[in-house]
Amino acid sequence: MKFLEYEAKKIFGSYGIPVPRGVLISSPEDLESGVAQSIGDGVVLKAQVDVGGRGKAGGILMSDQDTMARTARELFGRDIKGVPVREILVEERVSIDHEYYLSIAIDRSTKQALILFADSGGVDIETVAKEDPKALRKASVPVILHDIPAFMLRELRGDAPKEVEKIINSLYRVFCEKDALLAEINPLVSTPSGIIAADAKLIVDDNALKRQGITQNRDLTEREREAERHGFSYVELEGDIGVIGNGAGLTMATLDLIEFYDGKAANFLDVGGGADQERVRHAVNLVAGVSSVKVIIVNLLGGITRCDDVARGIVEAGVDQQIIVRLAGTNEELGNEILAGKGYRMMDSMEDAVQAAVEASR
Amino acid sequence: MIYADKNTGIVVTGATGKQGAFHVALMNEYARQVGGRGVVAGVSPGKAGHDVDGVPVYNTVRDALKEHDASCSVIFVPAFAAADSIMESANAGISLAVAITEHIPVHDTMKAIAYAEMNGCSVIGPNCPGLISPGEIKLGIMPAHLSRRGNVGVISRSGTLTYEIVDELTKAGLGQSSVIGIGGDPVIGQTFADVLARFEDDPQTKAVAIIGEVGGSLEEEGAKSTDLPIVAYIAGVSAPPEKRMGHAGAIIEGGEGDARSKIRRLKENGVPVASRPSEIPGLIRGLL
Repeated sequence: MKFLEYEAKKIFGSYGIPVPRGVLISSPEDLESGVAQSIGDGVVLKAQVDVGGRGKAGGILMSDQDTMARTARELFGRDIKGVPVREILVEERVSIDHEYYLSIAIDRSTKQALILFADSGGVDIETVAKEDPKALRKASVPVILHDIPAFMLRELRGDAPKEVEKIINSLYRVFCEKDALLAEINPLVSTPSGIIAADAKLIVDDNALKRQGITQNRDLTEREREAERHGFSYVELEGDIGVIGNGAGLTMATLDLIEFYDGKAANFLDVGGGADQERVRHAVNLVAGVSSVKVIIVNLLGGITRCDDVARGIVEAGVDQQIIVRLAGTNEELGNEILAGKGYRMMDSMEDAVQAAVEASR
Repeated sequence: MIYADKNTGIVVTGATGKQGAFHVALMNEYARQVGGRGVVAGVSPGKAGHDVDGVPVYNTVRDALKEHDASCSVIFVPAFAAADSIMESANAGISLAVAITEHIPVHDTMKAIAYAEMNGCSVIGPNCPGLISPGEIKLGIMPAHLSRRGNVGVISRSGTLTYEIVDELTKAGLGQSSVIGIGGDPVIGQTFADVLARFEDDPQTKAVAIIGEVGGSLEEEGAKSTDLPIVAYIAGVSAPPEKRMGHAGAIIEGGEGDARSKIRRLKENGVPVASRPSEIPGLIRGLL
């Protein structure tokens, strides 16, 4: 789950990483009490939306104490890449001498935390890697070490101020203790009064939300959340063919085949392992409830999942859309018997099923 | 043979749970068919003295290994305790831990894998279906009836899609040497490169199908690391960026790990890439 900037800054700050003075407002009227008066004359208003390239999309506005209220009204009235602005972080405008980049992420290849530090920040790190590779330094921290070795900190920092080492250490503690997949400060800026995290990004492992005390994954849409309650993996897409599969790989492959045959999938729904009648019924109802769905393909490979259970779930759901079914594995014949003569189209292979679904969607 | 054979003794942790008990029985059924040793002990803390499908249960892996000779563990314990079970296995002297459990926090997985490897224990998974070497051994939850003994190795990040492809291979008359599900999480123990290295030392394996998906670059790294003839399929060509496609590891992040660039890099490396699962048997045949 992604944290918003102000939440990430609060956490970073609590670990001793200097962040700009600021207040969060949820309406222009919040400024009337004078909450933002103490943060200095020059201010910057930053829309708290989870959108990449927020600055370029008009989500960050410069202002000062006199014009702040007007600027806030303007920003609250905006959509940033389609996301309405509901909260704004009002921050002191810091005077920047130099910008750095700092991130800690999980490196799948080394199975360790990978720290990246670059002498040039504020821009896309991939651009730095391409255009000025010498400015970018990396270190992998063996998970069995409690702290980052001093030599790694020295190498990462290079010629940057010494206090950067303390910030890297603090960010690594955030990364470990908050079950982060990514902790990033871009830019990390040097100012006349020291080094400050001008922006902050924190993504927490969805599998660790519970022990991090997070009860709801905000990254999910309402329907995705409903799917999660039933134990499904669900992703909303923009087409008209509803897709239900078991197993992430098989469901993805079904989506890919739909694209291969020039169809458009409306969703990704993986019912998970050992789906019973009730779960299949919920899955079919959930997908059928999406207004754009014209036809549904159910592609299930029975193992622990029994095809007769699946068939009963499909029938019980009783939805209006045409359903194309491909069942294989445990109790396959029984499943097809249950569905026979009830208006479902049964297919032997996943390719035939996908082709039939694409045709039916036209 | 890679990792294990019919002489391998298996310990199952989380054996008294619903999933654990169900699969102890299936693994043993397979062992009976092929004349293997199968599951020799179960482990569930506090359940010593019970039995599952005729297999004695112990409180700890160490206790189980005092009474039985086993080198592999298959882990079914819930996510919050699964990483610990991997480490317990390694500490007790297990040399291969197969972690079926899904939803283990990735920081736990990193620690458990590092600790296991320090103790000479390889980890397959987590979030994986395990492996099957037809005619020898089944470690995990793969349906046994789809596979036939043969010369094709299969390595996959997925579960049911693997069964689909194994079924296609078998129907095309292409048996398998070993089928390994390495897991759908971002951090996994044995990678494509690790399993390919094992296949290189296995005279039975003549060609390998690698079944990858969006996220990371383990497929390309594996392909680069081996001289074996390989064929690839990558799921998720139609996956949108920044969305987790069912598996914790199946996500295109920061513009990296998308299927098309994976496929391009594999092809640049001389690897034939199937655009549909049904093309895999034909491509494999072309290599044999």
